[in-house]
Amino acid sequence: MITNHHMNENPYLPAKSIRDAAVKGMENVNRYSEIKYFNELKHLIGNYSAMPLDQIVLSPGSDFLLREAINIFSKDRKIIMVNPSFFAVSEYAMKFARKLTKIQLSPPGFKLDPELILNELDEPALVIIDNPNNPTGAILLDNNLLENILQNKNVLLLVDEAYYEFSGQTFAGLIKKYPNLAITRTMDKAFSLAGLRIGYLLAGEYFKDQFSDFPTFLSRPTLFAAIEALKNPEYLSQNIKKIVSERARIEEELKKRGIEVFPGHANFILIKSKVPDFARTLMDSGIRIKDLSEVWLNGFYRISIGLPEDNDALLSIIKNY
Amino acid sequence: MKKIGLIVNPIAGMGGSVGLKGTDGEIVKKAIELGAKPTTPQRIEETLSLIKRNDVYFMVAPGKMGLDYITKFDFKYEVVSKIGEETNATDTKRIVQEMLEKNIELLIFVGGDGTARDIYDVLDLKIPVVGVPSGVKMFSPVFALSPSAAAEIINTAGNQFIEKEVLDIDEEAFRENKIAAKLYGYLKVPQKPTFLQAKKEPSNVSKSEEHLKEEIADYLIENLEKETLYILGPGTTLASIANKMGLEKTLLGIDAVFNGRLVGKDLNEKGLLALIKKYNTLAIIVTPIGGNGFIFGRASKQFTPEVLRLIGRENIVVVATEDKIDKLECLRVDTGSLEVDKSLSGFKKVITAYKKETIIEVR
Repeated sequence: MITNHHMNENPYLPAKSIRDAAVKGMENVNRYSEIKYFNELKHLIGNYSAMPLDQIVLSPGSDFLLREAINIFSKDRKIIMVNPSFFAVSEYAMKFARKLTKIQLSPPGFKLDPELILNELDEPALVIIDNPNNPTGAILLDNNLLENILQNKNVLLLVDEAYYEFSGQTFAGLIKKYPNLAITRTMDKAFSLAGLRIGYLLAGEYFKDQFSDFPTFLSRPTLFAAIEALKNPEYLSQNIKKIVSERARIEEELKKRGIEVFPGHANFILIKSKVPDFARTLMDSGIRIKDLSEVWLNGFYRISIGLPEDNDALLSIIKNY
Repeated sequence: MKKIGLIVNPIAGMGGSVGLKGTDGEIVKKAIELGAKPTTPQRIEETLSLIKRNDVYFMVAPGKMGLDYITKFDFKYEVVSKIGEETNATDTKRIVQEMLEKNIELLIFVGGDGTARDIYDVLDLKIPVVGVPSGVKMFSPVFALSPSAAAEIINTAGNQFIEKEVLDIDEEAFRENKIAAKLYGYLKVPQKPTFLQAKKEPSNVSKSEEHLKEEIADYLIENLEKETLYILGPGTTLASIANKMGLEKTLLGIDAVFNGRLVGKDLNEKGLLALIKKYNTLAIIVTPIGGNGFIFGRASKQFTPEVLRLIGRENIVVVATEDKIDKLECLRVDTGSLEVDKSLSGFKKVITAYKKETIIEVR
């Protein structure tokens, strides 16, 4: 049996009532999803994010929203991103952005130098930043940098907060002040709904208009489960607490084993291992982690936090090195 | 006391500043004729000056292969074997064999890929090595990033070792104008991979990679200034730019272009300095070595500190495909002059495709 620690999934199932809701969504599966369910979900996301319903855009996964932003805005704007970043979106930008500037984040701190980004804002631009960053887990933005970027009227800023629930840091409160700010989030991670794929955009006025034609495709089981999850979100905070505490434990344990750990703020940790073929060796023991050398730097690996017993299994194997 | 062998290839790196692709075989005579001076003494002396351990006993090769440098320091040592006026690979192999018989536990060697291959022929995986980089070709990740990094590895080496590739240029691929590293074997190195060069990723020849190189070429050519001398560094990305201009580029060498015409081919330091004096406006276009990120100080030693000082940081254009740049922590320089290295450091834009760039730190 293989345990997955490579996709940043939540190891905990959502509450039973949520799984039951998804099953209930199957009852009329011969029918398209009804508009009232979309509105109900938007209403609940609005409450959860303190955002008016008309500034919420739903999507089957936040990556579709990010790709759409690149499609819409790269026509007349430079796209600015960091590297590494959410790899699927980064790759998409390389293929489809007309003009692209990437800022390389380097170990050990993976910090974003504010000056580097502010220097690039002398032409119309769309800045896309994942915060916390994937795969480093680093927090790249603070209020100061964010407002400095947004004060440029020619610049749009899209912050991907896929891991917001684990970091506790959000900029949603600034959307009212800055129409050129938008935030993408997902219910795949903290809400344990990866298999259903629900993403949403909290759109500043400027984004809202541009996304008005964005097609919303969510299946009935997806809508039903998401609605139930937001109506009864108690399980969420418990699971986040458990994952964050496990994250701290694994970080410490790996450090004790002489592994270089880069402290992060999401549901995964970034490590650098000196052991050749580290990922393949773990895979031989049934543990799958993300080998980042395929897309980024040699020797770097991302490990999603699993159930305590799975994390113990991982640590017991690493102890043998 | 830890018995450490020390062997220096005195001619390693000499070909670099005079535009040769190494100093293997007969090339060394040509290098000397062209005015090349040894670069290894400075490299090994820098390493030795930073070794803090006093529990080491050196077994050194004679004369310019080791003894000449160690006498400047207070280490305990003994000389192994004899050498004549001229030295070659056979000397290296013979002396390393004798050192092995005298039970050395670690071997410090100074040289390039050719030297690493000679060492490997004798040593295989018997004992670990620390390579001090001094060659023209530096594909093998058995080398420390710099002489000071080599000293750091020696100072902190424990009992953990890993095997690293001994690579050298694939002559067959090179004749077909491709840069590819050929694997010759493995050497054992102390487990301090942060100090060791990542191996040179062979340039990807897949279509999309080629397409991206063409995009880089299109973008650059569109932005070339008239009446400016462009000095093109080594590598397939630069060859692709020259190709687009209808010019045939020396793959591992440095060529110069002015108003669409080739005005210098396979230039050495002298040739570069002459051109720099002749032209008022000029720029260097280079690409980092895949895997380790060096833009100066490894594959293109003709870009000496003097050349770089005259060109200036602002006139250096860096190009690389995204696949190559994404896999680098940073760009690196090791020109042999700390002052020039410092002037080149900071953030730099790298052109990665048509209207696409990555900002990355130069260290």
